[in-house]
Amino acid sequence: MTLSLTAAQLHGPTSLAEAVRLVAGGAVPLAGGTWIMRGPRAGDHVVLAGLAELHGVATAGDTVVVGALATHAELARHAWPPALAALRTAAAESAFPQVRNVATVGGNIGAAGFAEADLVPALLALDARLRLGDAGGAVPLAGYLAARPAGALVVAVEVDAPAGRTSGFARQTVRGGGEYAIASVALAVDRDAAGVVTAARVAVGAVEPVARRCPEAESALVGAPLTAASARAAGAAAAAGLHPRDAPDAPGWYRAAVLPAVFERAAARAAEEPR
Amino acid sequence: MTPLLDVLRDRLGLRGAKAGCGEGRCGACTVRLGDRTVASCLLPTVLATEPVTTVEGIAPPDGPLHPVQDALLEHGGVQCGACIPGMVVSICTLLESDPDPDEATVRAGLTGNICRCTGYQKIVEAALAAAGKDQP
Repeated sequence: MTLSLTAAQLHGPTSLAEAVRLVAGGAVPLAGGTWIMRGPRAGDHVVLAGLAELHGVATAGDTVVVGALATHAELARHAWPPALAALRTAAAESAFPQVRNVATVGGNIGAAGFAEADLVPALLALDARLRLGDAGGAVPLAGYLAARPAGALVVAVEVDAPAGRTSGFARQTVRGGGEYAIASVALAVDRDAAGVVTAARVAVGAVEPVARRCPEAESALVGAPLTAASARAAGAAAAAGLHPRDAPDAPGWYRAAVLPAVFERAAARAAEEPR
Repeated sequence: MTPLLDVLRDRLGLRGAKAGCGEGRCGACTVRLGDRTVASCLLPTVLATEPVTTVEGIAPPDGPLHPVQDALLEHGGVQCGACIPGMVVSICTLLESDPDPDEATVRAGLTGNICRCTGYQKIVEAALAAAGKDQP
């Protein structure tokens, strides 16, 4: 038997172009390290921290551009418009201070196999687009999650915040704060002057191996005011369309069973936001 | 990649931060990086580019304890002690950013520090007392 141990090789690029080239060549991007450090840690890694282009949150019109290295703590502190409140809540309720202080949005998206990532369902409900480190335009987050293109570096996340839209996020844990969610729900709704939902984007995390939008729940919300009852009905519709995973923290049937209640909490938060 | 915790304990002889779960969940390895707490078991040393404060740096080696440490002793917040270095760093950092926290804020600030002895109540009381909120 041959046992091969490969030490990690760290690269510290001095430009974004150099980082993009290294990642395209197979090196793993290193942001806050909270996911990678729980794995084998071997192979080439690209230390991104020194690249100014990956930091910060900028607003251009109705679009907000979040640098890939924005931490959960930074996202939790940021003054978001009501349309993006789900992102603030997901960041604030994820994990606990020691992890939120270093874990990044780019890492949350880039961590393959991380079913419980909290920012991902929030960003899906916000129709987020990713700027990858290539010459192309921004790509939908949902498409990125489905394909996980090898060698692509997430540079920034774009989300739109039109007036009149509100969003909310809620998560369910087995114990108190700090645990991974067994189910998380993010929803963003547009409502008319009478309060009737005219458009809805809903995403569920932690239930299937990868967070995803739930068209059944979106259809269930449109055409009526956003109430506890409509949210629960949407949760039931989502549960019927999902294939919940069994894992040591919760069986699949339980993840589905709690969804209506988590939908109700997320909807209440969206309804609280000023329009 | 070497975690900061290994450098602190094995290279620098600073054994205050503890190797607990190794997954950044228990908080026994909590240290301060700049003005924020981190789980040093999950922090690649290459990312430790700001000053690091461990529990050894909270009070001078031969000087009086920090008020947070005194409060933990006075309120019976220290039992086996495994979690205490991380608790001290978390509480001190919390009180620097919010000198007047309520109980909910203290509890939220300690969600990343697990204690298997005290049930937390005495630790929370100690943190509030250190903030000048001694309860009758």
